[in-house]
Amino acid sequence: MRLTKFILSRIMVWLLTILVGITVVFFLQRMMPSDPIETMISKMTSMGTNLSPEALEAMRESLRRQYGLEGTLFEQYLSTITRLVHFDFGLSMANYPTPVAQMIGQALPYTVCLLMTTTILSWIIGNAIGLLAGFKKNKWYSKTLETVSMCIYPTPYFMVALVIMILMAYVKQWFPLVPSFDDFTFTWAWFSDAVYNSFMPALSLMLVGTGWWIISMKALSSNVAEEEYVNYGRMKGLTEATIGYRYVFRNSILSQVTALALHIGGAFGGSLMCEIIFGYPGVGQMVNTAINNSDYNLLTGVIFISIFAVATATLLIDLIYPLIDPRIRNS
Amino acid sequence: MMRIENISAQYQTITGPVVSVKDVNFTINDDEIFGIAGESGCGKSTLLKVLYDVIQFPLEIANGRVVLDYTDRSGQRRTLHSGEIKRAWWDAISYVPQAAMSVLNPVYRIDEQFYELFRRHRKGEGEKAMRDRVVQYLGELDLPVDILKSYPHQLSGGMRQRVVIAMATFLQPNMIFADEPTTALDVVVQKSILMMLMELQSRMHNTLVIVSHDMGVHYQITNRMGIMYSGSLMELGNTEDIFSNPLHPYTQMLIGALPKVGDKSTREGIPGGPPSLRNPPPGCRFAPRCKKACPECSQSVPKFVEVAPGRFAACHLLGK
Repeated sequence: MRLTKFILSRIMVWLLTILVGITVVFFLQRMMPSDPIETMISKMTSMGTNLSPEALEAMRESLRRQYGLEGTLFEQYLSTITRLVHFDFGLSMANYPTPVAQMIGQALPYTVCLLMTTTILSWIIGNAIGLLAGFKKNKWYSKTLETVSMCIYPTPYFMVALVIMILMAYVKQWFPLVPSFDDFTFTWAWFSDAVYNSFMPALSLMLVGTGWWIISMKALSSNVAEEEYVNYGRMKGLTEATIGYRYVFRNSILSQVTALALHIGGAFGGSLMCEIIFGYPGVGQMVNTAINNSDYNLLTGVIFISIFAVATATLLIDLIYPLIDPRIRNS
Repeated sequence: MMRIENISAQYQTITGPVVSVKDVNFTINDDEIFGIAGESGCGKSTLLKVLYDVIQFPLEIANGRVVLDYTDRSGQRRTLHSGEIKRAWWDAISYVPQAAMSVLNPVYRIDEQFYELFRRHRKGEGEKAMRDRVVQYLGELDLPVDILKSYPHQLSGGMRQRVVIAMATFLQPNMIFADEPTTALDVVVQKSILMMLMELQSRMHNTLVIVSHDMGVHYQITNRMGIMYSGSLMELGNTEDIFSNPLHPYTQMLIGALPKVGDKSTREGIPGGPPSLRNPPPGCRFAPRCKKACPECSQSVPKFVEVAPGRFAACHLLGK
């Protein structure tokens, strides 16, 4: 019963997040000083197209309908919500008449795969190293690892990315400067080629991400390592491996799971710069193009999908959390 | 049996070592409840750490050693010294800590925490036997079996303390050290926990060493006891003798301060406070507060000597 209540409340939060997201995007666009349709028409007429006033009016009318700009503000708002929850984002303005949904559908898997792999890998690696560094904080290797991560973490992301690019694609030419992907086939060759092509962007994201996990896990686990129950565990004559896993790790990983949920939103934003720098064909790259081309439909679509993806990932982690923390499970 | 041979222990600080246990000599026998009494900061917890061999920076042994003599499960006599006593942890000696409220691992059920001890110290006795033993043992202690499936945060403070005691005694160690096992509990729970400790001791015939600032606790449950003041033992002997005939002025004043049923006169406290361990007074450390102090007391440290069979005290007045 309490479980159902817990799940329901999390789903409500999830729905609310998405609704607030849509609302903000909707009103933000309406607050922009330029009218997208007038901009389009003036662009067309300035290029020398001569149209009769009736034809212009008809065009205005059809464009309005197409972009959902008919009726009062409230009607527009409702129709926007209805369209968005059906994943109908209209047609791209820059790549007319390709539907936005189709464009996103092509780019999204690349971003999701890149982000999932790097986020999860750097979470695992960073926490493993951080645990070691916090639990055995007086050992030389712990100090070395911490210093290295302290140096990497505050470096601006684009610096890390550019250094990797220069070293691995220009000086050494180990990896292609611009990744290219063949059409998807379910073969080993395709996967190994994809890994090869996305190695540099993945490495750059992981270096920066891992640094943060190492620092935070080190701080957490060295605090937990000083708790009474850890000390008492030693006095029970338990082995260091047991203390490390059952006492320190299990008690410090809880906050790291929460942090992972919060981190996913940030990771989505972080992929924007990564994809632009490396020319990786994902959603981040698409946002860049959409902004440059004033492609409002594409922008709305990408923003909605980002909100949806981040909210869903957070929901999933929220639902997993009680499985690892008995105090949440029972309250 | 445990012999404490001339132990001094100190804490390293930035301004130099602070000696908090000084020249302590005594023996804890098999099959007895031994009490260590003293006010806060007199070094009783430090002494217990030294006895249990938890020497962690900044604590260090400056002098002397602790010798543990015991018969292990296979019936063999073993002798361990300070630094080796760790090897017998939980197998031959166990510890009930001061803050029993927060010593259970918050993310595991109580049964898991019992099993983890079993798996470490009784390898190869089988999972089934282990589960049965835990359930049976809780039954013997009159603890409800359903606490095994609880997490520590679901139990009350008194119950957690009982669980910790159950864990410490589960593998039937030869010696159990309890550091203020009843502090932070209300009087009713205190009593039942003391009864539990006494009962366990009389059933297992092992040794229980109990540290407490509460003279009432010592009077109720210990067979022999030592009185500590400012890092040294002042008096040691059978608990009954100490209460009926205290020899050292400090003990006399401590006992004089205890309330008695039917006696309505105002109790007298001991004026002043214990000296700083960083900069202790010369001679007897109790001299500045002692009503019977003579000039000699502030010049030389009295020896801790056997004044009657099994009765030790450190006071210049006793030789006269």
